[in-house]
Amino acid sequence: MKQNKNKIGLIVLLLIIVAGIAMIVIKGFAFDLKYQDAKRIEIALGGTFSLEDVKSITNEVFGKDPVMLQKVEVFEDAVSITAKDITDEQKQGIIDRVNEKFKTEVKAEDVDIITVAHTRARDLLKPYIFPFAVATVVILAYMAIRYHSLSSAKVIAQTLAIVILAQAVLFSVMAIARIPIGRLTIPLVLVVYLLSLIGCTNRFEKMRKKDLEEIEGK
Amino acid sequence: MKNNETKQNKTSKKNKSSFTFIPKLTIVLVIILMTMIAFFGIYVPVQNRMEDKVKSYDLAMDLKGARVIQLTPSKGTKTTVKDQEGKEVEDGSNLTDEEITEKGYTKETLPLNEESTFSADNYQSAKKIMEKRLHYLGVSSYIINLDEPSGQITVEIPENDLTDDIGNDLVTVGKFEIVDKDTQEVLMDNSDIQEAKVMYGSSNTATSNGTSVYLEISFTRDGKKKFENVTSTYTNTTTNTTGTTENTTGEEQNETNETENNNSTENTTTENTETTKQVEMKIDGQSIMTTSFDQVVKTGKMQLTVGTASTDQVTIQKYAQNAQNIAVTLNDGKLPIHYDMNKNEYIQSDITTNQIELAAIVVAVIVAIMLIIFMVRFHKNGILASISVIGAISLFLLLIRYANVTLSLEGLFGIAIVIGLNLAFIDQLLKKIRQNEQEKEEKVVSHAITETYLSFFAIILPICIVAIAFCFISWTAMSSFGMVMFWGILTLAIYHFLVTGNLLKLSTK
Repeated sequence: MKQNKNKIGLIVLLLIIVAGIAMIVIKGFAFDLKYQDAKRIEIALGGTFSLEDVKSITNEVFGKDPVMLQKVEVFEDAVSITAKDITDEQKQGIIDRVNEKFKTEVKAEDVDIITVAHTRARDLLKPYIFPFAVATVVILAYMAIRYHSLSSAKVIAQTLAIVILAQAVLFSVMAIARIPIGRLTIPLVLVVYLLSLIGCTNRFEKMRKKDLEEIEGK
Repeated sequence: MKNNETKQNKTSKKNKSSFTFIPKLTIVLVIILMTMIAFFGIYVPVQNRMEDKVKSYDLAMDLKGARVIQLTPSKGTKTTVKDQEGKEVEDGSNLTDEEITEKGYTKETLPLNEESTFSADNYQSAKKIMEKRLHYLGVSSYIINLDEPSGQITVEIPENDLTDDIGNDLVTVGKFEIVDKDTQEVLMDNSDIQEAKVMYGSSNTATSNGTSVYLEISFTRDGKKKFENVTSTYTNTTTNTTGTTENTTGEEQNETNETENNNSTENTTTENTETTKQVEMKIDGQSIMTTSFDQVVKTGKMQLTVGTASTDQVTIQKYAQNAQNIAVTLNDGKLPIHYDMNKNEYIQSDITTNQIELAAIVVAVIVAIMLIIFMVRFHKNGILASISVIGAISLFLLLIRYANVTLSLEGLFGIAIVIGLNLAFIDQLLKKIRQNEQEKEEKVVSHAITETYLSFFAIILPICIVAIAFCFISWTAMSSFGMVMFWGILTLAIYHFLVTGNLLKLSTK
């Protein structure tokens, strides 16, 4: 019964991974605005302001399109508006509304539309590969020693399989649900990594206990 | 008789209860105090305002903000003045047009970047070199983007005292040349450099005392031969000092060159003046030093003293920074294209304090629900354990502030995981206590604590390994997570043994 449940679970996970791979091949990953090719403008507001006020303006101009708002410099008297694309009309629209709301006299010709290049996924992931590799190698060595009674090779293979499977499921879900790759991706990878490791040790501890009980029983 | 026994039992229970009440109350009060400090701070009046004396969290680039440097391929020009023989005239830029015509010089205006250099390959190569420079400078967190059609590179780095220097190091082309002072013939260039690094040495002479900072340039195999030839051709026969060449760079250059010249003068007075051929070391066309060599250098290494020997830490650090700035531009080759710094501004994170507070409230609500469940399920022990967990979280939050942990988004997730681990530990401990109570064991809490520690840490040991491994990684996001987890697990291990264990022991007495 339990084995059947495990098999069904595994099949579901494999289906998610297959669907995820299909989605990646067809549409690729969705990326957070911060890491996409985008356009940015900076407007000096001449004094402190609330991002909520600017947000209401950008909502009017860009509708439901994602927009990133950031305060510029330590005096917080300028705002940076990043969107997937900013046309001259949209720029003018924002400036008009800003002038009206903040009683400023910003001119469109003083505001440049800056091109923001995308960040390559490999550049995003590069700094994390070495730490993960080192930690995984040390953990595999520990697992192999601690659970040598369960066959070290089997323990290593199972741990690796669980860790890789967990990450594959995570990325597949992100691809299917169109969750953008962004700043939350690495924290999520970390959480899933730790959970998969806990899952492994939990499983091996139970198996070891069972083995010990069997030996004691004999 | 029976009445007397019951009375005695009641009195002894009352005595025991009053005996444990004061320690329990003390622990609870300390926990409340710690929680107040961790969550609300300690405010004292400072110049007509209230100032929190508790250290604030050190936030990383993704939560605080970053310096955004935008670099574009230069479209600028460079004007050079050449003499009749076609050699570049030093300080030619200071000459007026009349002076140039008078002396028969010619003025040439050339673009900084040839049209052919504006290529995707060069942009990619420039990006790679800049990345290597950031790595060499020990920048612990950065984002670098290249817009291939325009060649525009955007770099985001953390804001600190070194940010401006780093920005300048990125745009420095790093063209290294050792040229003949007279003919301007290039004797060595970037291709001959294997590595440039900063070194320290102590000097204790009559003229200098303290620590000296050196820039050591190691040459490649071919470079070593070339350098040997250079040092044999440009040997200063009038002096007999050590084999390595010493000179100065940076701010102290003029001052020390003067000193060196004085030394030479002193020597030559005894051994007659002799004309020596000199070489000039240039970085990005700017003369860094002019020298001749005391003897042939066969080691393939050139040491340049940066500044003078000093005992002052700040001065030494300044010299080391100067040397580091030169080293970073010499390592990893020169930029194939000149870049201009278009924008250099501090942009705050788009993750606002409100968003972080909202996430904290969500976590707090989850914790509160869990604690209520503990209280309902385990009654008195549940209440005490819940109070203790709040204390553990408060202590942990104080600790990461004073342990100088830089909090990134990964670090925030680490905090949530640590809180989760604390709750899981307490859940396991309370279950064990109940199980032991049902089995009517002796020393219920002590046994439960030992058993919980053994089983819990057997499960989370891989997390401990991850935490320790990540602590040694320089990348802020990883080290933040590692440090948070490390301090969190350490707090969990010690705190629950000392506080939760004792609180529960007192409660079961």
